[in-house]
Amino acid sequence: MNPFNGGCVIITSLVAAMILAVVHLPETAPQWLGWLRPGWILLVVFYWVMALPHRFGMISAWVTGLLVDVLYADPLGVNGFCLAALTFVTWSFYERFRMYSVAQQCVVVFVMVLSVEGVRMVVQSLARDGGFSWGIFLPALMSTLAWPLVAGVLGSVRRQFQVD
Amino acid sequence: MLALAIVSALLLVIDLNSRLLDPTRALLATIVSPIYYIAESPYDVSRGVGEAFASRTTLQEENEQLKRRVLELSQVSQQFVSLRDENARLRELLGSRRRLGAEVLVAELIGVIPAPNTLQVEIDKGSQSGVYVGQAVIDADGLFGQVVEVSAFASRVMLVADASHAVPVQVTRNDFRSIAAGTGRLDALELEYVPITADIVEGDVLVSSGLGGRFPRGYPVGVVTRVVVDPTVPFAQVSARPLAALDRTRHVLLVFEVKQDPPPAPAVDDAQAPTPAEAAP
Repeated sequence: MNPFNGGCVIITSLVAAMILAVVHLPETAPQWLGWLRPGWILLVVFYWVMALPHRFGMISAWVTGLLVDVLYADPLGVNGFCLAALTFVTWSFYERFRMYSVAQQCVVVFVMVLSVEGVRMVVQSLARDGGFSWGIFLPALMSTLAWPLVAGVLGSVRRQFQVD
Repeated sequence: MLALAIVSALLLVIDLNSRLLDPTRALLATIVSPIYYIAESPYDVSRGVGEAFASRTTLQEENEQLKRRVLELSQVSQQFVSLRDENARLRELLGSRRRLGAEVLVAELIGVIPAPNTLQVEIDKGSQSGVYVGQAVIDADGLFGQVVEVSAFASRVMLVADASHAVPVQVTRNDFRSIAAGTGRLDALELEYVPITADIVEGDVLVSSGLGGRFPRGYPVGVVTRVVVDPTVPFAQVSARPLAALDRTRHVLLVFEVKQDPPPAPAVDDAQAPTPAEAAP
């Protein structure tokens, strides 16, 4: 299929990830459920860089990150840096990551999301009051659990629309 | 990679230390704000369906309640008019300036910023409606927060209970002044620098004092829930509960301060004064 169509699929998946990242639970749901939110955007970016490294580069990741900064009300540049770094690492090892089993990919996802959350926490402690909290392990853990789902859905979408 | 890292670090330093990047943020926020609208749309639909199928008796009951409420409020507002005029006359006698009026604009919440360490929400009015950074936001019960970022069709509000928020307040009982700082928890504010000899007790109502010029004065902020006086520390620990329904309310009011003095006629009609809300297209 033509390259523009493939771009549409990638952008749509990113927008869907952003919507999932900010959608809030009904008021009746308990507050702590909100903490169990996987890093949808990281997972989607990770998938596209691994599957199509020639289509999704560091600049795209960085621009996505700028939008995420505004979405999360983070200082400008944090998520841009994190997503670009994630893309850089994935880009360097994508052939190896593709060969991994899903379980091994889950471990990679855990380490990546944990590092990104760590960087975000450091920057936020500079911007506002706050220090270390074990809370950063929750998104990493949930992202690990959500990875097989994201990889499966995006894989079938990619085959359906023949993005390459 | 290195270039992107350097650019990111530069952006970060500039954004943390100055307001130079606010226009950029506003532009990006205008691109991103539809995502909040989309994320909220399932709730809008379900509410719409619920209202469409509400039973006749429920609606009648609600109508009755609202009518009673309007009667009560109109009685209060009659008193308010005469008290306002009396207050204006007394202030003229004292030679002090007349209080300025305020106009409000109703806005609806369209999202909550999904970060555990900050308390901010997204509302559905932006610079197209005349919203500006620093504007005070109230709800039906008290001070809600202030606008911290404005895009074209949405803006972000920091709640009074955010850990990096503080508002100058005074106790209604004796005008004792203090600063109510947020704690990061929705149900608690902390009063800062209260001397242990200060006359402040549980149940005191705190209203915004208007000092600092950011919040209009006289809006209720919180109720003191706990006063701990420990003679070994210089300041008392005073906790308060925010009066605004920070985690339940759906509709908030943006307060526009009327910029020019109203004419010194005995009865001033606030509706005559132009407001940014009306001036905006």
